[in-house]
Amino acid sequence: MATARTSDTISLPLASRLTTAVVSLLLGVFIIYGVGLSHSETLHDTAHDTRHSYGFPCH
Amino acid sequence: MLVKYLLATIVAGLFAGILLTPAMYVKNVPLILHAEEYENAGGEGHSHDAPAATTETVPAAVAPHEHAEEAGPELPFGRFGNTLLINLVAGAGFALITGAAALFLGRRITVQNGIYWGLAGFFIFNFAPAFSLAPELPAMPAADLATRQAWWLITVVLTAGGVYLIVLRDQIWAKLLGFVLIVAPHIYGAPEAEDLTSAVPPTLASEFAVSTLTTNLFFWVVLGTALGWAIQNYASSELEA
Repeated sequence: MATARTSDTISLPLASRLTTAVVSLLLGVFIIYGVGLSHSETLHDTAHDTRHSYGFPCH
Repeated sequence: MLVKYLLATIVAGLFAGILLTPAMYVKNVPLILHAEEYENAGGEGHSHDAPAATTETVPAAVAPHEHAEEAGPELPFGRFGNTLLINLVAGAGFALITGAAALFLGRRITVQNGIYWGLAGFFIFNFAPAFSLAPELPAMPAADLATRQAWWLITVVLTAGGVYLIVLRDQIWAKLLGFVLIVAPHIYGAPEAEDLTSAVPPTLASEFAVSTLTTNLFFWVVLGTALGWAIQNYASSELEA
C-alpha cells in the first residue's frame, strides 16, 4: 500500500507541469464549450443527441 | 511540454468516446427519437398511453420551437456518424480537462485510482448539475437557454472546487467550505420554465433522466480507468522528476 501511495503523486515540480496543464485545460474547455454550450447552429445540430444525453442544457 | 501525457489523455478520451456511443444507443437515443415524435407531430397519430387531452394542450407551447423537422446545418455524417464524432471529441475534451486537473494538483492518475477520477468527473459534470437541472428530452419545457447554461457552468465549477476541498484537503474548514460550494447552486435553484406543460409523457422523461445518468456514469468510469492505463503505459517516464 505504501508504494501505491507514493505513485499517486507526481514528483515533477509544478513549474515543469504548468505549461502542459494550462494547454490541456484550455484545449479541453474549448472542446467542451463547442460540444456542449456553443450556440452555433451547425455545432448544435451535430452535437444534438450527445448534448441531450450528456445533460447539457439544450434548445 | 509533456507531449506524451497530452497524447495519452487524448487516446483515453477517444476510447471512452467510442464506447459511449453504443451505450447511448441502448436507451438514450431511442428516447430522444421517441420524444421528437411528440415535438414534431404534437402528439397525434400515436398509439401510446398518453391521454389525448395532455397532448392536445401542447402544440401551442411547442409550436415556436425552431427544431421541428428542420433539415439542419449539421455535419454530413448522418445522425449516428455525427453523434460518434461528437462523442469522440467530447471524450477527448473531458479527458484533457481531467488530465489537466491531475497535473495542476500533482496527482497521478493510475489504473487503480482511475475509477475515482472518473467518479469525480461524473459527480462534477453530470450528477451535480442533473440534481437540479434534470437531463432534458426534446420538446420538454425549459427556461431560457443562456440562463440554464450559465447555471450549469457555475454549478460545474463550484462542484469541482467543492470536490477538491473535500477530497484533497484535510482541514475541517476546507471540507465544510467544499460542502457549501456543492450545495449552494441547488439552494439558489436552477432556472425553471414558467409553464411546465409538456408534450413529452413524464414516463419518457424519467426514463431518460435515469438512462442518461447511467450511461454517463459508465462513460466516466471507462474514461477514468482508461486515463490511468494510458498515462501509466505511455507517459509515466515523463512524470518522473
